[in-house]
Amino acid sequence: MALWVPVALVSDPTWSSLLILGLLAGVLALDDTALAQTWFGQPLPAAVLTGYLCGDPLTGLAVGLPLQLVLAGNLPIGQTFTGDSTSATIAAVAGAILSGKHLPPVLVGNSAGTWQLLGWVILGAGLLSLLGHLFIQGERRANGIWMLEGLVSLRDGRLGRIEQLHIRCLLTTFLRGFSSGILFVLLILKVWIPLFTHLPPILQTALGTLPLLLPGLGVGTMIDRYGLKSSWPWVSAGMICTFLVAHYVV
Amino acid sequence: MKPMTRGLQWSLFLRSLTLQGSWNHQRMQNLGLLWTVLPWLRRNRRDMNRDRVFCRRYYGFFNTNPYLANFLFGGLIRLETDQDAGLEVLPGVIGTFRDSVGRALASLGDQLFWLGLRPTLIMTICLVGLLGHISSVLVVIGIFAVGQLLLRWMALGKGYDLGMDIADLLFDPRWHLWIARMKRGGMVLTGMVGGLYLAQVAEAGPVADRSLLWIGTALGMGLPVVLRKRLPGELLIVVALALALLLTFAI
Repeated sequence: MALWVPVALVSDPTWSSLLILGLLAGVLALDDTALAQTWFGQPLPAAVLTGYLCGDPLTGLAVGLPLQLVLAGNLPIGQTFTGDSTSATIAAVAGAILSGKHLPPVLVGNSAGTWQLLGWVILGAGLLSLLGHLFIQGERRANGIWMLEGLVSLRDGRLGRIEQLHIRCLLTTFLRGFSSGILFVLLILKVWIPLFTHLPPILQTALGTLPLLLPGLGVGTMIDRYGLKSSWPWVSAGMICTFLVAHYVV
Repeated sequence: MKPMTRGLQWSLFLRSLTLQGSWNHQRMQNLGLLWTVLPWLRRNRRDMNRDRVFCRRYYGFFNTNPYLANFLFGGLIRLETDQDAGLEVLPGVIGTFRDSVGRALASLGDQLFWLGLRPTLIMTICLVGLLGHISSVLVVIGIFAVGQLLLRWMALGKGYDLGMDIADLLFDPRWHLWIARMKRGGMVLTGMVGGLYLAQVAEAGPVADRSLLWIGTALGMGLPVVLRKRLPGELLIVVALALALLLTFAI
């Protein structure tokens, strides 16, 4: 796998590295809902970006791909759950690289290796995303309070207040992403990865299988989203053709 | 019709990108909507009472799809401009237009973007990732990013040109054609990702018992379809861990 890897901006767990990662998390948190929504904040692009920033895009792919597939069904319609997969993904990738680990991707180009730590990091990212959901809900409650503050402008006609309130909300989103990013990186780096060696062997073995199962769950979730009845001819056609080409031709 | 100035269009466009910046549970995108249309008001300041009515008009509950919202914003600015120029705009029409077109665009956007384009794009980058082309993941997302920005820019101008006639645009059958195409594309790509995944599972390296891995794979793919619970992905990771533990015990 030929890779172009630029000079890593973030290579050691120093405060300046955390600051850069926090900035990335802040910008991508804005992109997630508040600003432009370019989808660079989705788990896979966010993981690859973080990987490039830390000088190891392959670890970014290893973490980002299973996460992206299993989170593919998290669509912003018909559900109240949000989750903060962006900050969690950045933290998982950066935490792993900054602790000196190189995580091999599962199922990419016959890569082999032990996937237990990768499974542990992915599990950590999932739990951090759940934690991030609480922060997002807090931010939205604050937005609600500030929005009600804006009702005063409907009485006194001060447009500047409306401008300030909206910008305050945007800054809050950035700060939420920034602080979650730094906090999550520290949690992965200082707590989650060191904890791995203390896990019982049976759990470590199970964690090795975890990254292999996630893509299947992701594909199953998408089939359920589309509806089995209407999607099976298209999904089966794509699946059978690709399987045959990948297994027997390539 | 008075044309929209380039300065106003840029201002509206840039602000419209932050429509959801102050999203809240009570009135959703209302503050974002008012913030977006404020440049028009700043260029057309009148007496305080009329300005207050303007603000009140845009501060009620509002929710639409952010990618298609600029059709509506353009239309609203056109109606405001017409009303300001003394053309007849019936009382309450702007509010009704905002609500009805906003809802229609929300529904269209859900189908086109959230259920159509997003799964298709996600499956594309996953396929690209599974094939090992790391930087191409960013290229694909970059193309989408530029494309959606162009759509938003064009939508603003189109909405302004059409005004109330945006409703005709919503009836265009091509929207539904594109939705169907997007969904089918997403289904095929989901199948392709699934097929490549299965082919790579068949060749996976360090696995203690291959038959159990196949059972795990089949259970993993079948579980969401059978359960039909639509669990968040984060909880699916925990479900996968439970499944992995079961398989480990079975070994």
